[in-house]
Amino acid sequence: MLSPAEEAALAGALERLRRDPSVRYAEVRYVAESSEKLRVRDGRPEQASTGSSRGVGIRVLGPRTWGFACTPDLTEQALRGAAALAVRIAKASSELATTTTLFPENPPARGRYETRVGEDPFAVPWSEKMAALDAPVRALLGKGKPIASAEAWMEWVRVEKRLLTTEGTDVTQLLTFGGSGMQVFALGDDGVAQRRCYPTWQGSEGFQGGYERVAALDLVGHAGELREEAIALLTAPPCPEGTTDLILDASQVALQIHESCGHPTELDRAMGAEISLAGGSFLQPRMLGKLRYGSPIVDIVADSTSEGGMGTFGWDDEGVPAGTHPLVERGMFVDYLSSRETAAQIGRASTGTMRADGWNRPPLIRMVNVSIQPKQGTLDELIADTKDGVYMLVDKSWSIDDLRLNFQFSCEAAWEIKNGKKTRLLRDPRYTGITHEFWRSCDAVCGPSEWKLFGISTCGKGDPMQIMQVGHGASPARFRKVSVGNTGSGK
Amino acid sequence: MTGAELLALCKDALARAGEAHAEVYATHRRRGCARFAVGELGQHMDLEEPSAVVRVASGARVAEAQTTQLDVASIAGAIARAAKAAPLLPETEGFPGFAPAGEPTATPERFAKETADATPEARTELLAPVLRTIRAAGLVSAGMLETQRAAIAVATTEGCARSHDGTIASFKVWALETPGAGGAAGYGGHMHKSLSHVAIERETERAVRMCKLGKDPIELDAGRYDVVLEPAAMAELLEWLSAIAFGAPEVEQGGSPMNLGKRITGERFTIHEDATLDDPALGFGVPFDREGTARRPITLIDEGVARAILYDRTYAARAKPPAQSTGSAVSAEGLGGVASSALSVDGGDSPSVEHLVSGIERGLYVCRLHYVNGLLETPRAVMTGLTRDGCFLIEHGKIARAVGNMRFTDSLLEGLARCDGMTRERSAIPTWWSEGGCVVTPAVRMRAFMFNGRSQRSAVSLDT
Repeated sequence: MLSPAEEAALAGALERLRRDPSVRYAEVRYVAESSEKLRVRDGRPEQASTGSSRGVGIRVLGPRTWGFACTPDLTEQALRGAAALAVRIAKASSELATTTTLFPENPPARGRYETRVGEDPFAVPWSEKMAALDAPVRALLGKGKPIASAEAWMEWVRVEKRLLTTEGTDVTQLLTFGGSGMQVFALGDDGVAQRRCYPTWQGSEGFQGGYERVAALDLVGHAGELREEAIALLTAPPCPEGTTDLILDASQVALQIHESCGHPTELDRAMGAEISLAGGSFLQPRMLGKLRYGSPIVDIVADSTSEGGMGTFGWDDEGVPAGTHPLVERGMFVDYLSSRETAAQIGRASTGTMRADGWNRPPLIRMVNVSIQPKQGTLDELIADTKDGVYMLVDKSWSIDDLRLNFQFSCEAAWEIKNGKKTRLLRDPRYTGITHEFWRSCDAVCGPSEWKLFGISTCGKGDPMQIMQVGHGASPARFRKVSVGNTGSGK
Repeated sequence: MTGAELLALCKDALARAGEAHAEVYATHRRRGCARFAVGELGQHMDLEEPSAVVRVASGARVAEAQTTQLDVASIAGAIARAAKAAPLLPETEGFPGFAPAGEPTATPERFAKETADATPEARTELLAPVLRTIRAAGLVSAGMLETQRAAIAVATTEGCARSHDGTIASFKVWALETPGAGGAAGYGGHMHKSLSHVAIERETERAVRMCKLGKDPIELDAGRYDVVLEPAAMAELLEWLSAIAFGAPEVEQGGSPMNLGKRITGERFTIHEDATLDDPALGFGVPFDREGTARRPITLIDEGVARAILYDRTYAARAKPPAQSTGSAVSAEGLGGVASSALSVDGGDSPSVEHLVSGIERGLYVCRLHYVNGLLETPRAVMTGLTRDGCFLIEHGKIARAVGNMRFTDSLLEGLARCDGMTRERSAIPTWWSEGGCVVTPAVRMRAFMFNGRSQRSAVSLDT
């Protein structure tokens, strides 16, 4: 919460920027974050921490290009200094520029957005939270061997943002992010370790909402099954090598979207702005409306309005309101995740995806909730409809090339499917492919009853690295003739 | 802010809070990042990164709080928050209390005033010829020039009081055939504590040269290839080895390949955790960890034999038999937890990478790797990833021509068991995940490394 003096200092800094003739546009962004991280491992607390972060980031569009500076000090003097430094950087960089940055005007936004929270997670006592983590860990550990280790965690982040721009935007947002889960490690006599996670792999179980979401997970209720699966994997046969029909569980479809649709549709990447860390994209502007990205049943949207999504907000960090934008429509590549600057370069309007990791980073194009639209049927029906294939669930490793074409993922577990039935558990499964070939082979996406909105809290991008919360809605889906195999456990 | 000023702040906050058992670890980084892409300096940033992480113990009940406000009242407030929370927590088994005064730390000079004082105008001026050179070559530039100054301090109620000042100037540059759509790419990079010693011109020329060499690639079939990995490629693999192998928590969970006293890889491979390396172009490590433990060189793998793992004070006290902290409690700025901060691989006896290449009849020369993941099968350190920014076919002991990007999937430790050459010269490769900011490694030659796929970027068609 800003004090009246701090409010006045922010407004003063903005006013000085507005009056500076070298400034074409500027934004002053106040961010205050509170966080909690709790983790119990093997019956003892591994982490119990709170955090608070508070400061202001100032981004200035100078004569030809940008400058950014920031300060944790919200006094008038410090803010004036940060604003002056941002202007100085923009001027210095403009000296080197051969082109002038396009930045179309945006109607000023005003208002307030807040995550809907049932039970305030920051009001729940730590003793209660630690007990909620300790119980599933003890259930996972059971009587010990072959279980080597078990842990459970929860994290909460509350972000208060106030964005003021020289265009007249003044918006306040209060976002509450959470995540909780557990994992268990079983260790075989041959030294082979197997991991199982619930509700999905760590880092992908996030949401916006309150403490009620943790209770709904019922960690204790799922501990027994998770433990038994980890033990069963120790003696399960490895996933056979070959080409077969592949069904992915909803969480793995979510990760597949993240890596092979979300990142390559970031327009800054496609234009080459992210080479110094992440690489480029095979999805080039000339392909808009012309490239068949997937089969006709593949519809993927960027939606920053989904209730409870990690990529949900009221406005992005350039003041563009949240919205829904198709990226892939009936299999065709139709749009990008974009900013005002990058969208202008291809003659389009921003899809409103600029977000910064805290007050001391400039905004970048980040995924919002990038989700595949549900179609029809249940997972059981999909399996029953598959004569010969493999069903893989919960990601274990992920890797994709610098254009987002060649990917390889491994999962925690798989089931062999024969004549429409799950016949045996398989360990160390992996699958690999080329993005557009893979999505073109998609012939089934399950319906709304199987669709879940996942949240990734650890998406990295930018240089220096920025971490962002993003969402992905997905249903289980089937892909025909995919190259599968195993990671080679036990040599 | 200097390390000494930060230490004074930590002590004052401890005194004001008045808790019996508390620890403050404070960092203040100021980073000037001039990030360029598509031939333009489009993201030029002055970043301030303040942080104070405090821990308070009530017996063996330990709570942590963090703040970005580096003033006495805010840090004392964080201590009060942690003090309120600690009694609500279960006991941390083995918690040995906070660090006492301890032995003096190694004191290699890590600070260069010229880097600390670098201005936006200075960074812009240094980049001007970079952009010109690459543009003149008909290529597209990308990269970043960063000047960083860091002040770090730790103080405990048990008497530990340490501070550190350091600077890093680092430069990464790409010369590209296309701005973001693939094509040939050449990379260069260098770091030094002094900005004026960063080899900007040399690395820019290298990026241009490698990009030109990378044009018109052929596609190779999957299979086992003898391979030379440049230091930047090795660093990507070492990142994952660090994450899965060396920390006591990973060993405790059963997923680490570190079987102490046993041979786990080839005898040419020796790797240390060494924050004391006294070299302005290789050593950037902080001489103590976030608990205040003085860091000393630790040999983790010695000629292929697993020798040591990394501990913080609690994991060390809990070890059977009890061990000493290796100064490996690292802050959450990087990977967090118990982890390496300054990995350093011993060099070999090859005078140059060309010498390594000369020993390969048919194989691959890899400049960098992309999106490596080491979670496939951690006890064997099985990893997968792709080449980027230069992959070349070696024929008859010479680089013959460019190759499209390839995917590898193999055990790093088994690959290093087939290592038969390393360069004498080593490079510091900048990393985002390591507290010391880099990994030090030579170029490495391994036999029969498994490449199981290729990028097939030429296969994208607009057919509907």
